[in-house]
Amino acid sequence: MISEFSTIKGNSSKYLALLAGFGVLLALGAFSFLYVEINGHGATNMTNQVVWGLPHVFAISLLVMASGALNLASMATVFGAKQYKIFRRFSAFLAIALLAGGLAVLVLDLGRPDRMLLTMIHMNFKSMFTWNVFLYSGFVVLCFLYLWSMFQHERYVKLAGSAAFAGRVILTTGTGSIFGVIHAREVFHSAITGPTFVAVSITSGTAMCIMLLVATFHYTGRKLDKSLIHGLRNVLIFFTLLVFYLLVVEKFTKFYSPAFYDVESWILTGPYAPLYWIGVLGMGIALPLAILFNPGMGNSIKGIMWACGAAIIGEVSFVAHVLLAGQSYPFNMFPGWEMSSAFLDGQVAAYSPGILELMLGVGGIGIAGLIYLIGIRFFRLLPQKAEAPEGWKPWSP
Amino acid sequence: MAWIRFLGALLAVFMTIAPLVSNADAHGDAKHDRGTIGEKCIKDTDWMRRNHMNMLMEKRHVTVREGVRVPAESLLNCKTCHTSREKFCDKCHSYVGVQPDCFECHNYPK
Amino acid sequence: MNMDRRSVLGLGGVVAASAMIAPGIHLIAAPERTEASGQSRWAMLVDVNKCDSDCTACTTACRQENNVPTFDDPQRDIHWIRKVELKDKKGKRPSVSLPVLCNHCEHPPCVDVCPTEASFIRKDGIVLVDKHRCIGCRYCMIACPYKARSLVYHATELSENGNADVPIRGKGVVEKCTFCVHLVDQGKKPACVDACQKDGNGAMIFGDLNDGQSEISKRVHEIRTQTMRADLGLNPAVHYQGL
Ligand code: HEC
Ligand code: HEC
Ligand code: HEC
Repeated sequence: MISEFSTIKGNSSKYLALLAGFGVLLALGAFSFLYVEINGHGATNMTNQVVWGLPHVFAISLLVMASGALNLASMATVFGAKQYKIFRRFSAFLAIALLAGGLAVLVLDLGRPDRMLLTMIHMNFKSMFTWNVFLYSGFVVLCFLYLWSMFQHERYVKLAGSAAFAGRVILTTGTGSIFGVIHAREVFHSAITGPTFVAVSITSGTAMCIMLLVATFHYTGRKLDKSLIHGLRNVLIFFTLLVFYLLVVEKFTKFYSPAFYDVESWILTGPYAPLYWIGVLGMGIALPLAILFNPGMGNSIKGIMWACGAAIIGEVSFVAHVLLAGQSYPFNMFPGWEMSSAFLDGQVAAYSPGILELMLGVGGIGIAGLIYLIGIRFFRLLPQKAEAPEGWKPWSP
Repeated sequence: MAWIRFLGALLAVFMTIAPLVSNADAHGDAKHDRGTIGEKCIKDTDWMRRNHMNMLMEKRHVTVREGVRVPAESLLNCKTCHTSREKFCDKCHSYVGVQPDCFECHNYPK
Repeated sequence: MNMDRRSVLGLGGVVAASAMIAPGIHLIAAPERTEASGQSRWAMLVDVNKCDSDCTACTTACRQENNVPTFDDPQRDIHWIRKVELKDKKGKRPSVSLPVLCNHCEHPPCVDVCPTEASFIRKDGIVLVDKHRCIGCRYCMIACPYKARSLVYHATELSENGNADVPIRGKGVVEKCTFCVHLVDQGKKPACVDACQKDGNGAMIFGDLNDGQSEISKRVHEIRTQTMRADLGLNPAVHYQGL
């Protein structure tokens, strides 16, 4: 069984170029971090209206994607989809890599990263952040246990895999609840924000898995059975539909209440409407579904790759929309009155991301990419060849 | 980390005692050089040397969080006797190699 | 550090009283010592009818007292207290002007979300940021429905006529109105209230809601006052009258 898996050689010039590429991203991130650390957050474009900017979009997108990347392994271990068993290691390792990237960005964007240890000393258990500190570190530990049992002790796999699965659902619900529990912000205060994050995490995580599997197998000259990808495509379809369903339920509920007319019509027509319509709905839902349900493109690897790319853009747009639109919408402290002040009360906040923020964000991608590349080089994460079991045939459009 | 603090404190003690031993008469001058006026510190000088950091850390906790204000022991009060930060606090700190970030926010005459 | 004798004695009484009720608190009974008391609930009342839209006495005094800097960048300026102009959406009621500051809620959402307990609520109801503990995550700024908080984007220096007794800014931490806790602990009023009564129109008063004799507690219990976003259930300590 173990002999099926092998490391990659990792001496091709393409591999080294990729390493160097992600290394450059990491260096950009490191530069941005040091620059902001020395000069203060004034060097970024964040404001007192939009306090979480582009770095958080990157960080939370990566974190959400990380928990979704584990879905592939969970399907095999928890839901008995045997055909994906060969991808379990890859999936669990990818989850760790993406999580590390996202977490690094989140931590490095703190106003006082030097005081990070205080979160371990003084903990406020009412804060979603404290919970997330536990959930993230717990998730990494669970993924390691899961990997370890896959490598060494097959009999613990079911246990560790199930724990990691539960951890993952709780983790993403926790991430979504960072926003969902905030009563002050009408745009994202909702019980359904957490579940929507879970669904979005699975679409983007699955999309990431598909793209990386196809690319890695292709460049290392390994054989990947097309029907496995078709199976994953169906997973992507299912969860994209789920995201759509949750979004519709949310909009429906909110539009039912006159108190939300203002904010909801602002979302659909205001300055962040393009992000919502084109990003969240267009790229995240309509385009992938259109491609994947198409008998021609939906069955070709190329078409599926495009759909995956769109799904990931959709996920990032979703996170960006929650974050940026959520913070930009002005508070309504005195209902019936129009507010104005020197602190820009009553105005939609203006925010355009700065280059340093972008650099910090791509630094997270650099970390995730490097961990993945180095991981497949030194650990036996990938099978020599991936074949679907006899007689297993996924549905196809 | 306790041992680092201990070493630091030891070093500080050594640093302050050494000149006293080598030239006891210069004591008054040393005091003057470092911009200190007044006769006694708010606590025993030895104790202060070893414990002022813990005292300040403890104080900032109880003052800010519990509103316990004892003006005589406040950080604001140090400067009435230790008139120069560079000559007193910073000098010793750079000798022992610590860089408290307090003065980013707390005003203290140079 | 001159403390006026009367206020010290008054506060001493409060401390003694609280010491009797809460013997757990250790007292090194130095005479000048003060401590936040669970018996009080500091609060503010703003009479909107008296507040003039041209008057900025409160905001100016706050900047002076607390060394609150301006960066000439409206997006990032720090505001502990700000003047807000309100225009009726239907155009029927006359416009009003009023100060908005941290509401020192009884159930502050900023305290709930703070991962390190840097935002906390003192026994006497004042909500503060412990700037020694804040890691600059800004979650509190997301959670506060009053936009009372600012992140310090740039470090500052003490201006020439600044107040050396109050710290200046350290970049990367979140801050907000403290109800001038350093003055309240000396038995004085917050700078904005003081300025409003001296240079302004006397629209603001400050006091202890739990003290049945105080002006504020009488007025809050007799007149119809409002708090901002009462629907959130936070029970703010800043009351408005005449809206
Ligand atoms: C009433 C005046 C006074 C005040 C107030 C005061 N000090 Fe001192 N302090 C002194 C004197 C005098 C010495 C002895 C200096 C010497 O012997 O060189 C001293 C010594 C010290 C020493 C030991 C220095 C050494 O070289 O051994 C430290 C540390 C110190 N003080 C810290 C503080 C701190 C921190 C504060 C504020 C909380 C403070 N002091 C407030 C008068 C004062
Ligand atoms: C006699 C030398 C000496 C003098 C004078 C002195 N310090 Fe210190 N200080 C030390 C030593 C030694 C430490 C211990 C460093 C450690 O614990 O790692 C320290 C630590 C501190 C710390 C804690 C730093 C940390 O990060 O834990 C603070 C705060 C501090 N000093 C404040 C002051 C102030 C304010 C003054 C001036 C009024 C002062 N010190 C004067 C020797 C001195
Ligand atoms: C980010 C800014 C900031 C930094 C950095 C900072 N402080 Fe403070 N500190 C404050 C503020 C604000 C207060 C509150 C003042 C008040 O309530 O009167 C305060 C209060 C205090 C107090 C209580 C005030 C009193 O009258 O005694 C002490 C003691 C104190 N700080 C010590 C320190 C020490 C020691 C350090 C360095 C290790 C430090 N602080 C670093 C902002 C800061």
